Amino acid sequence: MKKITLALAATAALVAATAQAHGPTRRKITESIEINAPADKVWAVLGDMKNSDWMQNVTKTELNGDPAGKFKRVLTLKNGDQIQETSNKYKPDDKLFSYYIDKVDVKDLPANDYSATITVEPEGNAKSKVEWKAAFYRGYMNNDPPPDLNDEASEKGVGDWIKASLANLKAKVEKGS
Amino acid sequence: MSLSRGRAALVAGLVLIATASRAEPAREAIVTAQLGGAIEIVDLATRTVVRRIPVDGAPAGIALSPDRRRAYVTRPEGHGLAILDLDAGRVLAEVPLPGGPLGVAADPRGGTVYVADWYGHRLFVLTERDGTLVPDGEIAVGASPSGIAVSPDGGTLYVANREADTVSVVDTATRRESSVIPVGQHPFGITLDAAAGRAYTANVTGDDVSVLDLKTGREIGRVPTGRRPYVIALAGGRGFVTDQYAGSVTAFDLATLKPIADVDVGDHPEGIAADSDGRLYVANWGDNTLSVLDSKTLKVLATIPTGNGPRSFGAFLR
Repeated sequence: MKKITLALAATAALVAATAQAHGPTRRKITESIEINAPADKVWAVLGDMKNSDWMQNVTKTELNGDPAGKFKRVLTLKNGDQIQETSNKYKPDDKLFSYYIDKVDVKDLPANDYSATITVEPEGNAKSKVEWKAAFYRGYMNNDPPPDLNDEASEKGVGDWIKASLANLKAKVEKGS
Repeated sequence: MSLSRGRAALVAGLVLIATASRAEPAREAIVTAQLGGAIEIVDLATRTVVRRIPVDGAPAGIALSPDRRRAYVTRPEGHGLAILDLDAGRVLAEVPLPGGPLGVAADPRGGTVYVADWYGHRLFVLTERDGTLVPDGEIAVGASPSGIAVSPDGGTLYVANREADTVSVVDTATRRESSVIPVGQHPFGITLDAAAGRAYTANVTGDDVSVLDLKTGREIGRVPTGRRPYVIALAGGRGFVTDQYAGSVTAFDLATLKPIADVDVGDHPEGIAADSDGRLYVANWGDNTLSVLDSKTLKVLATIPTGNGPRSFGAFLR
């Protein structure tokens, strides 16, 4: 939160100076994919909190805590950076996982205060639909964001990452089934 | 304002308060659909959106005039305040304001509206003139003022200062902060229980609610909540807090200050308000819905579809 506090303080100063700029509004995006496998098989991969190698750029998953309760995870990315997550809800019966990101570099994911819910819904016996809903503020919390961290770029950056992850999940599940 | 006009306004205000407190359930919920760029009027009997009024600038906060005919809606990206005629379903005026206007509250006596600049350390005071509101000075408060609560006599404001971790107590006659009450981490919504002499503020990153005794000006308790508590409503001896990350409403007992239950609502619940019938209405920003909750049974009675990104941060039932 320290970063955000500083950003806000800087923002306050900026607003006082210009009185023209505007602050961020939380964004949301929803992406989904159809997978040619039963929901149980999809959840077996998606719900495995010890291994999220299907998430785009993730090479290592460290789980701290019990998935049945509250837990934290550290995802290591290809470039060596890390994403720190905390679980919010983990409900295998509903095939639902929701979490938020405590810490991520905006160059890896252009978002602040990111939270998301991922669900698997059966579509008949042989197919399923995975839906990923994310909520976040843009990568630059201050006024007058640089083009790569404004609302549009942040929505695209997060959206592309989710879409790529879902495609990876589909490939992994369909290959394994 | 002349003395006689002032007195007339005061009498009118008292009549309106009496009317507003008459035991009748709310007829409409006014939803600020922030991402949809609209104010929506939800008919609570048929549970449908009956009117959509376009308002740009990411409408978020809302307050109602004492007669409930007008809505004051903040537009943090506008920037400013939109004044809506709810019966006619149209925008009457837009008042430009600098900074990040977000929290808003109306003096229950009428005539004055307060807007919090969450990028600053100030409230804007707007007073009614010729049927509209005009900027009429500022009141210095703590960093990132968010929620504002006004005492029934209009004489005192309670302001949650998100970045300062405090609540400012403001004397409206002198327009000065008369005291500062330390609370938890990042207080956002603040709700007054004037009869009980208490205020409740939701500490967003502390995952709890600070309970304030207004007489002594001190925090007297902390209620644990779900993740990211945001706004509090009161009904039937209970408090109800929206938990943004948890997608739930935490109910707690106002006497014992102990949690009773977490009730699942929609994704990212934000604004919450209670009507005199003991029903709660919750704006679910993530799901684009309004949940209707029974404060006694703690059951979700209905889920009403709304426009994109409903927030309704403030008073939104009439």
